Amino acid sequence: MHPPGSGPTASPGPAAVPPAGAELLRWQWQEVQVPCLVAAWILVASLAKIVFHLSRKVTSVVPESCLLILLGLGLGGIVLAVAKKPKYQLEPNMFFLFLLPPIVLDSGYFMPSRLFFDNIGAILTYAVVGTLWNSFTTGTALWGLHQAGLMDPGVEAGLMDFLLFGSLISAVDPVAVLAVFEEVHVNETLFIIVFGESLLNDAVTVVLYKVFNSFVELGPAHIHATDYVKGVASFFLVSLGGTAVGLLFAFLLALITRFTKRVRIIEPLFVFLLAYVAYLAAEMVSLSAILAVTFCGICCKKYVEANISQKSRTTVKYTMKTLASSSETIIFMFLGMSAVDTSKWAWDTALVLGTLFFILLFRAVGVVLQTYVLNRFRLIPLDRIDQVVMSYGGLRGAVAFALVILLDEAKVKAKDYFVATTIVVVFFTVIVQGLTIKPLVTWLKVKRSDHHKPTLNEELHEHAFDHILAAVEDIVGHHGYHYWRDKWEQFDKKYLSQLLMRKSAYKLRDEIWDVYYKLNIRDAISFVDQGGHVLSAAKLALPSMPSRTSMSESSVTNLLRESGSGACLDLQVIDTVRSRRDKEDAAMHHVLRGSLYKPRRRYKASYSRHFISPDKQERQDKEIFRQNMKRRLETFKSTKHNVCSSKSKARLKEKGRKKKNISLPSDAPNGRTHRNVPWQEAAPVLVTVSSDEEESDSSETEREDDEGIVFVARATDEVLQGKTTPGSLDVCPSPCIIPPSPTLAEKELPWKGDQADLAVYVSSETTKIVPVDMQKAWNQSISSLESIASPPGIETGAQHRRFARPMLEKQPQSASQATPEQVSRFQFPSHISKSSRSKSDSSPEGAEQQELQPLMGTEEQGRGLPPAEHRRLAFSRASHI
Amino acid sequence: MGSAQSVPPEMRALAERTGFTSEQIEQLHRRFKQLNHNRKTIRKEDFDTIPDLEFNPIRARIVHAFFDKRNLRKAPAGLAEEINFEDFLTIMSYFRPIEMDMDEERLESFRKEKLKFLFHMYDADYDGIITLQEYKNVLDELMSGNPHLEKESLRAIAEGAMLEAASACMARTGPDEVYEGITFEDFLKVWKGIDIETKMHVRFLTMEAIAHCY
Repeated sequence: MHPPGSGPTASPGPAAVPPAGAELLRWQWQEVQVPCLVAAWILVASLAKIVFHLSRKVTSVVPESCLLILLGLGLGGIVLAVAKKPKYQLEPNMFFLFLLPPIVLDSGYFMPSRLFFDNIGAILTYAVVGTLWNSFTTGTALWGLHQAGLMDPGVEAGLMDFLLFGSLISAVDPVAVLAVFEEVHVNETLFIIVFGESLLNDAVTVVLYKVFNSFVELGPAHIHATDYVKGVASFFLVSLGGTAVGLLFAFLLALITRFTKRVRIIEPLFVFLLAYVAYLAAEMVSLSAILAVTFCGICCKKYVEANISQKSRTTVKYTMKTLASSSETIIFMFLGMSAVDTSKWAWDTALVLGTLFFILLFRAVGVVLQTYVLNRFRLIPLDRIDQVVMSYGGLRGAVAFALVILLDEAKVKAKDYFVATTIVVVFFTVIVQGLTIKPLVTWLKVKRSDHHKPTLNEELHEHAFDHILAAVEDIVGHHGYHYWRDKWEQFDKKYLSQLLMRKSAYKLRDEIWDVYYKLNIRDAISFVDQGGHVLSAAKLALPSMPSRTSMSESSVTNLLRESGSGACLDLQVIDTVRSRRDKEDAAMHHVLRGSLYKPRRRYKASYSRHFISPDKQERQDKEIFRQNMKRRLETFKSTKHNVCSSKSKARLKEKGRKKKNISLPSDAPNGRTHRNVPWQEAAPVLVTVSSDEEESDSSETEREDDEGIVFVARATDEVLQGKTTPGSLDVCPSPCIIPPSPTLAEKELPWKGDQADLAVYVSSETTKIVPVDMQKAWNQSISSLESIASPPGIETGAQHRRFARPMLEKQPQSASQATPEQVSRFQFPSHISKSSRSKSDSSPEGAEQQELQPLMGTEEQGRGLPPAEHRRLAFSRASHI
Repeated sequence: MGSAQSVPPEMRALAERTGFTSEQIEQLHRRFKQLNHNRKTIRKEDFDTIPDLEFNPIRARIVHAFFDKRNLRKAPAGLAEEINFEDFLTIMSYFRPIEMDMDEERLESFRKEKLKFLFHMYDADYDGIITLQEYKNVLDELMSGNPHLEKESLRAIAEGAMLEAASACMARTGPDEVYEGITFEDFLKVWKGIDIETKMHVRFLTMEAIAHCY
């Protein structure tokens, strides 16, 4: 290693000709030392992880945290042997400022908040009462041991010292708990209680630690009664203050992400920055930083996730997981390495064994006592097995170690003993308990969690269920948990969400919708994995090929069955069938090629989601999903998705005129990309425009940059001329037979037309497949849809007419009488809008949308027809102006 | 508090039938009288007086369930005009929490009871099948709190949910078969992932309530 000075001494030489060799390269170890070491250690830890996971057997038995600690021990030994002195220890500062925050943020942000708040009572009890109990009993018991003379006389410690030690050793550690419990997969309730406790007990630990630390410094003689009061007060201050800081930053964070529309790329940064600042801010005023970050994470998630784009969401998720995981890795590794530093050690068998015994004993006793009390209030009691796991799952970890290192040797004389004991305790809990908890859980037959993705139905039912429970609580007259949750949700919906969520996000946000969306994506991906065969079989309907619904059936038998009557096990037959199969594949290939990459126009009427990603692959997935959905819909014998939501842009236009005096048709092409849009994507347009708060950029509608606003437009006159699309087939539900209609739409795009006034963009679907044996309810809904529908509905109207009620039937005709010119002038003049708005006051919710989108009335079917008629009245009135 | 000695026999009968303790029954009785203004029965309108219920998006449906004869175990279909206290208790007993000492069999039937209640809430026309339209109606009510969600989204969600149920429940559907709707058996399957028995419960008797009343 060259001294860094060697370079500069040579450089003052003649500048023109550098001396050979000496200046070409320079050894600058000193300058890069710190970051280089950091990087090297992270690399070592990460590589170690890879090695551990090479063998599945090892990791399934031994938790990763154990392996890392052992690795750390080994590395520490090597370092000690090479450098002759212990280096690279876990520094408390490094731990609290850099390693801990990512883990806490990760656990807070991804905390299943519903579960957390459902069990908040139990969690708080265990965190507060449990930790207090543990530290006092452990401290006192150890002091008792000391008084009894069982300990080495070298342990100079009074009651306060032991209480201090008890406070730091008794707190369950979030890092260790998470590391072990994530691999154990106990049921959710159990997990959330143990884990929540480990997070929330930080406040108690911090307070106890600080209070006792100051008591030790003061000396027992100088402690007054007011100091105890102060201690209690500081508990509330630290915990509530920490929570408040967290909430404050969560609020800020949510608010900031609301405005990151144009700087998508740094969206994820805000999440990390603000959470970290929250941590530091809390730390700065010595509040509970862990609480701050935890609550910041829990509370901001809902709004942040709604605001940021899909990609940012993924980025946040992965970055957070990466950071947390590497922090955890480093913590455990350094924990191991720190243990080899024998200079800090001072062994006392009685203290070590006593501590181990007491923390286990008092943890168990505390859990049993608290559970006994809690079970009187809990409706789902925690049974004995849960209690065993909870007692045994009280792992201690790096927090305790960092705290004990932070002790001041001058004041806490027995620090070395405490350090040694803490290391042993941490190692024991992480390694021994970590190793045995899995077999224990299996042996006790603890209810495991079943990890299944939520289905749409489940989500729906649970949603309804919450309301039912809240309602029953109302009826019983008891203001219980459901009542308050309900109240909170109403408050959130009314104020918080409106304030913290981007307009477009707020309008579209809904849990059910989210699940629906996620399921769609999943479905699409799994469909791609299947290879698209399902589609081919059901859709192609090649004459030579009987339709198969599933390709999972064994191919040979299936093919034999397909090949017709008479099972013939001749090889040749199979061969021919194979060739047929090939043909099918080829045909499918063509279909896929034809439909996947430029599919938008053809399949306008199908499931979609609130954004379109420019990503080709993604779009493809969605498209495949759509087709898949359609196929399933058909087997389901329902009509395909009827998207007839006609959209009036009248208001948009009005606004545009008022503000900029630009008519819509002229700015539409510039402002947006025109792709075919399914109806949901239209929602933000409609909504944003109608909102008055959106200032100057009213014409430039708010949209996600990965969300396209596109219109499915059909020329109204084309329809009025009575052209029916050939796609309305009863016989063959194959979409590939449906002739592509994009030309229709493109030819006569309203904004491309001459009439600058044209304000009605009718998005519609071109085809409707109406199975003859449709259900009655279905028929009615569709027929009403048709009849309420603006002109394009007519094309298939004939088919439904037999189901349609007479009074509904009139409508399309009257609409059809409107000439294209009339329709083109069709916009809501302000007074009409007003009148219809006032009319729809009776059903205030969504009234505007109903007014703007007459076709949405389908859902009204179940409630009776009058509202639909109202709307139609307004509609036809407008059209005759 | 209602001590065991003073329990009148009819109260005990009620307690046995519905599984409530006598304290809970007393508590509920008080609430019952409060709701119906000391009449013998309770009518639909009485539920309108509960202010907290006002914002519940599916309140009509829930109130409806109280008068559903299927839930009252009186008739396979129809709607009662008014219900007496016993009926009220019957409905409430659907919301009892599980007990510690329940065995598997009782748990299962307990679960079925609860699900039946929910099923009836969806199945408005008493035909034992939740049709798409019925499903959609529920959804419509559910989502009415969110005026920004388009009706078309509701349709899509309802259809998606229906499809999901269909695909989960009918493994081998021929192309010509029609999935008419969710039957109760299918409903059970759909709910398989949710521990309803540990969720569908309301605390009927709390310390707070006692303190309030005595």
